[in-house]
Amino acid sequence: MLKTIKLEDAVGTKLTHDITEIRPGEFKGAAFRRGHTVCDDDLCRLQRLGKNHLYLIDLAEDEIHENDAAAILAASLAGDGITWENNPREGKISLVAARDGLLRVDAAVLAAFNMVAEVMCATLHSHTLVKKGAQVAATRAIPLVMKRAPVERAAAMAASNGGVVSVLPLQKVRAGLVITGNEVYHGLIEDRFAPVLTAKITDLGSDVAGIAFAPDDVEHISRAICNHIADGCNLLLLSGGMSVDPDDVTRKGIRVAGADEIHYGAAVLPGAMFLVAYIGDIPLLGVPACGLHHRVTVLDLVLPRVLAGERIGKKELAFLGHGGLCKDCPECSYPNCPFGKGTM
Amino acid sequence: MQDFESLLKSSAAAHGHLCPGQVVGVRMAMLGCRLIGLDDPSSHEQIKKLIVYVEMDRCTADAVSHVTGVKLGRRSLKFVDYGIMAATFLNLETNRAYRVVSTEEARDLAAMFAPEIAGKHAQQLRAYQRMPDSVLFRVQEVDVNLAELDLPGPTRRKVACVRCGQVVRDGREVIRSGRVLCKPCSGECYYREAREVSWPDMNRTPACKSKIAGVKTTNHDTKILSENRRRDGLLNEYHKEISPCLKP
Repeated sequence: MLKTIKLEDAVGTKLTHDITEIRPGEFKGAAFRRGHTVCDDDLCRLQRLGKNHLYLIDLAEDEIHENDAAAILAASLAGDGITWENNPREGKISLVAARDGLLRVDAAVLAAFNMVAEVMCATLHSHTLVKKGAQVAATRAIPLVMKRAPVERAAAMAASNGGVVSVLPLQKVRAGLVITGNEVYHGLIEDRFAPVLTAKITDLGSDVAGIAFAPDDVEHISRAICNHIADGCNLLLLSGGMSVDPDDVTRKGIRVAGADEIHYGAAVLPGAMFLVAYIGDIPLLGVPACGLHHRVTVLDLVLPRVLAGERIGKKELAFLGHGGLCKDCPECSYPNCPFGKGTM
Repeated sequence: MQDFESLLKSSAAAHGHLCPGQVVGVRMAMLGCRLIGLDDPSSHEQIKKLIVYVEMDRCTADAVSHVTGVKLGRRSLKFVDYGIMAATFLNLETNRAYRVVSTEEARDLAAMFAPEIAGKHAQQLRAYQRMPDSVLFRVQEVDVNLAELDLPGPTRRKVACVRCGQVVRDGREVIRSGRVLCKPCSGECYYREAREVSWPDMNRTPACKSKIAGVKTTNHDTKILSENRRRDGLLNEYHKEISPCLKP
């Protein structure tokens, strides 16, 4: 229960919550922290902050203070790879990446959590690459004092699937590249795919174990795939031959190599003719020619998820559609743009 | 108690179709029973310990009744017409009761929990199976004062209406100016202008419609049976005659 007292009567009492000061463009933060004992010298500053009355709190058994609520919420929201400090600032607790990796947000549970009255949590987008120490979410209870039951219900929801936010570490893989196309294989043009794909792999902390070149020939492509797997590659990237021309036989080569699961087509532009296949647990990513022209394509959306251990299927490729249209800006600002941010 | 899938299947069969309300009802009943400590409510040992108040006459009510085994005629199922998707589960042994309320926000969240499914009905059907209890329900611990006259068991009181003579059971009579009335005579009634009528085939006796195994048919039974058949024939003839006239 909250009791209001006049500021002049508050000298000697302890503040029940942080008091925020905002100096536009200069500062926003706690001018006074919870527990601070109000003294005569504070009165003028508190008045300047618009405080002519303060609260005294007498918590009933079924009530909870915002700071204690925030700690319960943070503990339940935090999944693997997330850390947080029980040191609420203005009632809010930040959830921070405990390691480099890929942020995963359970958007459905997050939505359910935020439907509970008087609690909130805001996060970065799911599938954002984050560095250790980065803030990925924050939570708080809205009122200063609230009933304990909704806080506990929201916490139960958040914990129902191992937490709402987690950071998955990226596995270090040995990638094998298969660059297809008669024009490259026979030396008519210089290959530019291998350097692009190699950079994307190494940027995410993995290695390229081998690069094979193959003509537009099913058997040849299939053999190159099998050789990479025999050499211990646990991720394969294939370029070229993904389109609709009669010479585009990469898909068939992948099937002949023994792929038991093939998903052709992604709801992303650039990258509609992207392919994901699996030979056992080894993923094969077929990169269409757009990967040469555009700095960022569907591969940049899918590759981190594959490295984080996610199995990509039809559903995952279809769900990329919302937010999957690149604006093709003259100056690309990815990942700080909406591209690929609409999926759950 | 059986597992969720089995209960949903049998509940849908008993109700007549599978629908989101069945999913909610089965889960509501499973949660309610768990909260009051009954793991097999329709078993012989537990069936007399449970009272369930359902606050809606919708699909969910049938599922709650099916899973728990509570029945109107056993007085273990109480219908309170609130129009709220909620049910209260009372353990008569411990006197603990929990009211389980289906959340309205679960409807809004269905698309989030089953995004790959198109169509509201199919989406809710799947989403309500995926949501944790904390999303699908709110729960309140409540005190329920169950009057002795509402308990299962034998009829505890019978009185006769002073106006029409109708016997009224279990304290459902109304006292007006010190006079005992049945509800229809008191005016608290869902129908009006009751008129006593006679009807065709007034002496039909179902026991004689067919021979009951092990029971010898008497001459009297046979006579009634043949009379029933004769009247059925007459009624059929009658319907044949008037049906064409009724067609537009």
